[in-house]
Amino acid sequence: MPPTTSPIVARLEEVAKSYSGQSVLKGFDFALEAGSVVALLGPNGAGKSTVAGLITGRLAADAGAVNLFDRDPRDPESRARMGVMLQAAGLPEALTVAEAIDLHAGYFKRRLKTRDVLEQAGLSALAKRRCDKLSGGEQRRVHFALAIAGAPDFLVLDEPTTGFDPDSRRAMWRLVRDKADAGVAVLLATHHMDEADALADRIVVIADGRIIADGPPAAIKAKVAGSTIRIRTTLSPAHLQMLPGASKVDQRGADTAILTTNARATLEALFGADPALTDFEVASASLEDALADIIANTVKEAA
Amino acid sequence: MSTLVAAAPGVYVREASAEVIKSARTPQFIIPTIVLPPAFYALFALGMGNGNIEMATHTLATFGVFAVMGPALFGFGANVAGERESGQLELKRISPMPAGAHIAAKLVATIVFSVIAFAIIYGLAVFAGVRLSPGQWAMVTSVHVIAVLPFALIGLGFGYRLGQKGAIAIANVVFLAMAVMGGLWMPVAVLPEVIQTIAWALPSYHLGELALMAVGQSDAANLWLHAGPLALITLAAAIFAWTGQGRHAA
Repeated sequence: MPPTTSPIVARLEEVAKSYSGQSVLKGFDFALEAGSVVALLGPNGAGKSTVAGLITGRLAADAGAVNLFDRDPRDPESRARMGVMLQAAGLPEALTVAEAIDLHAGYFKRRLKTRDVLEQAGLSALAKRRCDKLSGGEQRRVHFALAIAGAPDFLVLDEPTTGFDPDSRRAMWRLVRDKADAGVAVLLATHHMDEADALADRIVVIADGRIIADGPPAAIKAKVAGSTIRIRTTLSPAHLQMLPGASKVDQRGADTAILTTNARATLEALFGADPALTDFEVASASLEDALADIIANTVKEAA
Repeated sequence: MSTLVAAAPGVYVREASAEVIKSARTPQFIIPTIVLPPAFYALFALGMGNGNIEMATHTLATFGVFAVMGPALFGFGANVAGERESGQLELKRISPMPAGAHIAAKLVATIVFSVIAFAIIYGLAVFAGVRLSPGQWAMVTSVHVIAVLPFALIGLGFGYRLGQKGAIAIANVVFLAMAVMGGLWMPVAVLPEVIQTIAWALPSYHLGELALMAVGQSDAANLWLHAGPLALITLAAAIFAWTGQGRHAA
């Protein structure tokens, strides 16, 4: 095991960062513990990538302290314990997958064997393929391979599955899960709620440069009303909003979703109001609903 | 000694060999930079020179400089721009790779391909009957290797500032302008007066003159008349490259 002096992998204290006068983060505090998988969740422009950029040392904070393994994030010693998958990253086109991995792994003394990296990233069959002959999803797997090549204690993944089909997303999630199960801490910046739900044991929701929710996925979901009722009805949204327990109504065409704190009371009232109602479905609120609700409430409070 | 960061010498060697392999596998790089200059030399100096040894010697000196410009301008300009644009440079910057390894690797690759290009020209010249003393060969080779530096720095400055397409366009313009106006294809003396003036600001002109001194076709008494301006231009190019460096941080 590497020398670990603190269970904190990365820490931001009172950090401020602005771009050309536009404040992105202000008095931002955040700590990531060894072995944990933390998802930074939030709409585009909320500050997720800025947080990831500060931790990886790509960006410098205007004020406050940023630490990575108790050092400056620009210190090669702390960088050597971190693997990064950037949001937009090309590959050396003329090198083969194995050559690209071998070159990158060579920056780390504690590197994995190229053969093992290929296997762990599900790339063994593509080892001799040139990087410019790969599909988008395959390239993304090579980016993941580069991130794990140095046997890091900490992985930073910025939108690892954007543009993926469902099968490749689940395959990528499995790769990340394997690393997390092996004790690697993960910081996952994403705007996909299902991704955070599938991987993270802690979700940090960022909006407007501050943390508006922080906790395990279950706690984030519990922050909003318990269930979603899906129906097809002729009743107006205004009417539905008045139903007992209903906290939010979302209508898409003929399909309506009602977020409720008391599914039973809402349903009973619904049957009374719309005798034609036959098809309905009750599910516990999705993380997506929870998030939308949290952000909407925060914005309301701020206004 | 770090327990986590790989030893620098090994990284420099691997980075440089990867750079050479990448270029060698890219025909868009190899053909204009390694095939074209010797082909031009064969055509202009030998084919049309009709056995004129003096002309073949003159063009050996100037085409050697021309041969260096391609790998330096394209290798640094277009390649750095492409790697920066695609995020590859960013990934290296946040890895524990020593900061100088990337540029050092590019410099090594540029020297390797430049040497190949002007070595072919030397071979053609000898084949055509050009004879130089070992001292002259050593001096002209030195001038041609030194020529890598100013062009690499100019290329780097553009590579840090422009996108890949822009950098390729600029590299082409600079490549041709430097060759023609610097007197590498035909002597500056036969060019219009305004271009003769512009030539003084071009590294290609001074390097061409220095190479001609090395082969005994220009008066060596003028050494500092050309070495001085060349040093100043190289310094300016270094500043141009250095100040471009931070531009990709955003």
